Amino acid sequence: MKILIIEDEKQLVKSIAAVLRTEGYVCEIAYTAAEAEEKIPIFDYDCILLDINLPDGNGLKILETIKKHNKTDGVIIITARNSLEDKVMGLNLGADDYLAKPFFMPELIARVSAIIRRKRFDGSNKIVFQEISVDLIGKSVSVHGRELDLTKMEYALLIFLLANKNRVVSKNAIAEHLSGDNAELLDKFDFIYSHMKNLKRKLTDAGSEDYIKTVYGLGYKFST
Amino acid sequence: MRLLQVNLRSLLLYSLVLLLISIPISFLSIQAILNEEIDESLSLQADQFARHIQSFEYLDDLEMDLRVFDQLSYNIDIKPADRSSSDPIFNTVYLYDELGKETKPFRQLTTTFVVKGKPYALTARTSLVDNHDLVLAIGFVQVIVSILLTAGLLLLNRRLAKRIWKPFYNTLERLRAFELDKNETIPLVESPIIEFNDLNKALSYLTERSRKVYLDQMEFIENASHELQTPIAIFQTKIDALMQSPHLAQPEAETLLELETTAQRMSRLNKNLLLLSKIDNGQFWEKESVDLPAMVQQHADSQKPVAELHGIGILTTLAPLHLNANKTLVEILVTNLFNNAIRYSTRGEDIIVTTQGRTLSVSNKGKQLAISFEKMTERFSKESADPNSTGLGLAIVKKICDSAGYTLAYSFDGMTHTFSITFSD
Repeated sequence: MKILIIEDEKQLVKSIAAVLRTEGYVCEIAYTAAEAEEKIPIFDYDCILLDINLPDGNGLKILETIKKHNKTDGVIIITARNSLEDKVMGLNLGADDYLAKPFFMPELIARVSAIIRRKRFDGSNKIVFQEISVDLIGKSVSVHGRELDLTKMEYALLIFLLANKNRVVSKNAIAEHLSGDNAELLDKFDFIYSHMKNLKRKLTDAGSEDYIKTVYGLGYKFST
Repeated sequence: MRLLQVNLRSLLLYSLVLLLISIPISFLSIQAILNEEIDESLSLQADQFARHIQSFEYLDDLEMDLRVFDQLSYNIDIKPADRSSSDPIFNTVYLYDELGKETKPFRQLTTTFVVKGKPYALTARTSLVDNHDLVLAIGFVQVIVSILLTAGLLLLNRRLAKRIWKPFYNTLERLRAFELDKNETIPLVESPIIEFNDLNKALSYLTERSRKVYLDQMEFIENASHELQTPIAIFQTKIDALMQSPHLAQPEAETLLELETTAQRMSRLNKNLLLLSKIDNGQFWEKESVDLPAMVQQHADSQKPVAELHGIGILTTLAPLHLNANKTLVEILVTNLFNNAIRYSTRGEDIIVTTQGRTLSVSNKGKQLAISFEKMTERFSKESADPNSTGLGLAIVKKICDSAGYTLAYSFDGMTHTFSITFSD
């Protein structure tokens, strides 16, 4: 699975690429819009991470290039400009997702895997991990074929952890993922703790192995 | 005192002094001119009489006739004189007028002439206008003139004030209403008065420049906030990489989480600053129909799990309220009021959210605040030391209310803090 990262900030690219590579993706990098314009017509990517503020031009132009060449690459816009207009315009121009800087790495990984899943399976898809099976269309989870009764939060939590298998996911990243802007609220860690506790219990009660490990002081890890 | 009144006062004072001085001057000069004219006509009369009488020298009893004439004529006296010639004498005398029964001034000329070798003194006199009447008349005229002058000046002044000063007051009004953060400048209004034109130009220039400096500053804040997001993103990804290390001891792990929390806080501060500057720049101008109770209910539902952790319930009493407003801004209002209420609510108490009429109220129980409402809505002033609070929440609420023309009110009854927003129609 090939990913193109278009981003001029070298330190950021380095970190993103390193993480995505450990997740098993092949990463190519374009530091400028010109480089990106060269690569896009030639290669097929499963996912393109696009910073729309590039030194040599607006990244939204690249979206038009992708469209022009009839590429089906999934595009995630990454931008420091968290403005609604950019978001709307980007999504209208064919981007699949939008992520404002700064973002949590687990969030990026979750978004990338969601995009790739969507592109690969044309929308109808399932995540299957050992005895756990998630129907992303019906938003249901079953263990050993038996459906679990999960709340919206627990479902979101499970998907997030499944996308970040074998990675430590910090409580901050989980809180932000689950509650968005409300993560500003006090004692968000208690909030996560109670949902996590319920999710773990429901999974193990249904006969699943206890994959979700607590990493003390940091967060959780879905380890296989 | 108005500028024009100062002007008017000096003008009036000068005019009145001038009028007062002019009364004796006019009186004296009119009197002098009258006397001169009368003297001239008296001399003429006397000369003619003297010449005329010569042609009657042939009459025998001319002496007798002159005596009769003297008796008959009122204005002329003819008396035999001692000396044959002397210079004519003009003077003013006061005589009793039997007809008018009063003493009247007369101008009289005394001269001598000779008839048949005998000298006669001829006194011709003409009644003068009474000085008293003259003064009265002149005084009367001057008083009328003064009244007309004063009234005219006042009236003119008022009309001038209304007409000529109108551009000035217009400019003043606009200047009073001028707010740097509102998206309008003071338009240049042409006036026929050079001074006002200059003033308007100077003000226009000043306000435009202030506005430009302000916008530059806003843009700077916006750019600075944006530019900061990338380094924070790098920081966060590096922390994430460190977190993956398998041999982290718990203290190190805790430090990493704290670092990440701090980075997140920085980013949130940035986002809120950005939001404030965007509201200032009027970037949220698009309006649409907003069903406020539905939005409030949705927020209440999504916040309930968090609030419940602290035993805080959310009670809503929602009457229908439709707004024509910017949805993003209204959402921020609702979110921030909710966050604020949950943050400061006493544990175990309920937050009460109501919509009634055009007012949204959010109440929470809590202790008395050390800071005033005004202070509360300032940037970076906060009551709690909670690191999760940016100190911008209420400042943003205030900013949105100000920019959209909503009224934000706060009350505290000893137990309950209530924030309410009244939406304009």
